[in-house]
Amino acid sequence: MIEITSTPVILIAILGTIGVALPIISISRKERGSSSFYGAITFGALLASIGYVVYQIFSENILPGAVFSEDVLVDDTFGSLFAIAMLIVAMMTTVGSFNYMRNKPHTAVYFSLILLSTIGMVLIAYSTDLIMLLIAWELMSIPTYVLAGFIKKDPMSNEAALKYFLFGALASAIIIYGISIVYGITGSTNIGEVIQGFAALDSDMMPLALLAVAMFIAGFGFKMGLVPFHMWLPDAYEGSPPTIATLLAAGTKKAGFAAAIRVIVMGTIALNLEWTFALGIIAVMTMTVGNVAAIMQKNLARMLAYSSIGHAGYILIGLSIAPFSSIGLQGSLFHILNHAVMKGAAFIAVAGIVSTLAIANIEKLKGLGRKMPITSLGLVISLLALAGVPPLNGFWSKLILFGAAIDAGPVAAWAPWLAIAGVLNSALSLAYYGWIIRKMYFEGETEKRVKEPKSIIAVMIFSIIFIVAIGVYPDPIIQFTESAVPSLSMAISP
Amino acid sequence: MSNELIDFVIVSVALLGIGIYGLAVKRNAIRMLFSIEIIINAANLNLVAFGRFIPGSEGQTLALFSIGIAAAEVAVGLALIIVAYRMYKNIDIAEFRSLKG
Repeated sequence: MIEITSTPVILIAILGTIGVALPIISISRKERGSSSFYGAITFGALLASIGYVVYQIFSENILPGAVFSEDVLVDDTFGSLFAIAMLIVAMMTTVGSFNYMRNKPHTAVYFSLILLSTIGMVLIAYSTDLIMLLIAWELMSIPTYVLAGFIKKDPMSNEAALKYFLFGALASAIIIYGISIVYGITGSTNIGEVIQGFAALDSDMMPLALLAVAMFIAGFGFKMGLVPFHMWLPDAYEGSPPTIATLLAAGTKKAGFAAAIRVIVMGTIALNLEWTFALGIIAVMTMTVGNVAAIMQKNLARMLAYSSIGHAGYILIGLSIAPFSSIGLQGSLFHILNHAVMKGAAFIAVAGIVSTLAIANIEKLKGLGRKMPITSLGLVISLLALAGVPPLNGFWSKLILFGAAIDAGPVAAWAPWLAIAGVLNSALSLAYYGWIIRKMYFEGETEKRVKEPKSIIAVMIFSIIFIVAIGVYPDPIIQFTESAVPSLSMAISP
Repeated sequence: MSNELIDFVIVSVALLGIGIYGLAVKRNAIRMLFSIEIIINAANLNLVAFGRFIPGSEGQTLALFSIGIAAAEVAVGLALIIVAYRMYKNIDIAEFRSLKG
């Protein structure tokens, strides 16, 4: 039985209460359209939640690593790491929306949906049962379908929402089918028991187990944006409001990785197969397609969407070498945390640019460095961190990931090639990030400074501090991610 | 007994095939939504059939949850389709081309 004071239960209580209460408050209030009131309540709830997560980590009430449990939820370091990443993303989205949602209708519903989606993301990372995982997955997905189409009068927002919905619903259908097969062959839905069942499987049941793992890869891969399943992603990120693109790129995508590490990595190890090689191939395809397609984009949000496909490839390197080195998974977790903040900052900067200047085309960014200096600085820092320029945080996580891939060379001959592909792709990505930076600072006439929204400035300053501070002094976070790595020996010999 | 189980699984796999065929061939948003529903129902059939032969109630529980989730998903999806229909007077997703690159 899970304790009432454990982190996931308290988070459900705080975020769920506020999330459900917001629309009710909005009915009883007379004045409409004051986005900052509801935004402030949302921000307060998220701040309280992140405070509780950090308090639980420091008071050492949580279990180390990623453990299996009889319960549906478990309070461990792995879940806490993801919870911190998701809650930071949700806070950035909320603050970034203060300005974007001004004078738009239904702000209370908007913030309420953000909170509900955040609960789903957090619960995915904490869940140790496939039923819980499925429900958390849907709790995360369904609000984001609505949020992607929140600007009802905008055809692009509608189209993005419909495409995102159709592929997202297909992904959940495939996941449910995968769960049904897993339940059929192992007789349980608890992830720990499923993995023990996988390890002791009859050889004639093996094709079914492979089918189930393939269905999980496809289902979670839709949300993660892995390459054969990525076709909806640029459309959805470009068309939906840029603040919601933050939530999608930095939040739901990371929740997909949480589910993948909980289920797929453990499952492939328990099946004792050369399956991780397939993950390696997907990783290389994902990063190459993402980065090559990003070069050709004219729209800033669409370029960032392709770049986030590329980053899914880097994170997948750590998952594919997980059986050979725990450092790889550590690098993945570190990069997940970093990418959440970097990509979140970049998308919030886009939201600021779109809402003040109404431009999204990269060609029109000329002279932005003088028009909006702080937003531009935040965008530049996050782009450089995405490219992996030292001494920013993206450099360290990529260093750990690629280093682990090279170290795994003696055990798996293909692993160093992942590192080579990753380094080449990083160099490629620096080319298109550099192109944007050149447009912003070295082109255009001397233009007047525009008034920047205060909320965007706040997010930018937070992200710059986060990115530079972790880049200069990464040791505490590296130690924390090390303690969050799932212990793989448990999967093999329970 | 096992003969009966295999019957259910065959029907479920057939439904999965029908759903995937519908998604691959049709471009009408409502038809695609129904294809997804068929896949979810194939999974539900699997769950209930396995639950009949496996001790414990997890199969039926999960099937009930998945029916509820599917209903929520359809509600959101039909709302999105109605909004898109008002804007485009069409629900053929191949005709939606404002996002390209």
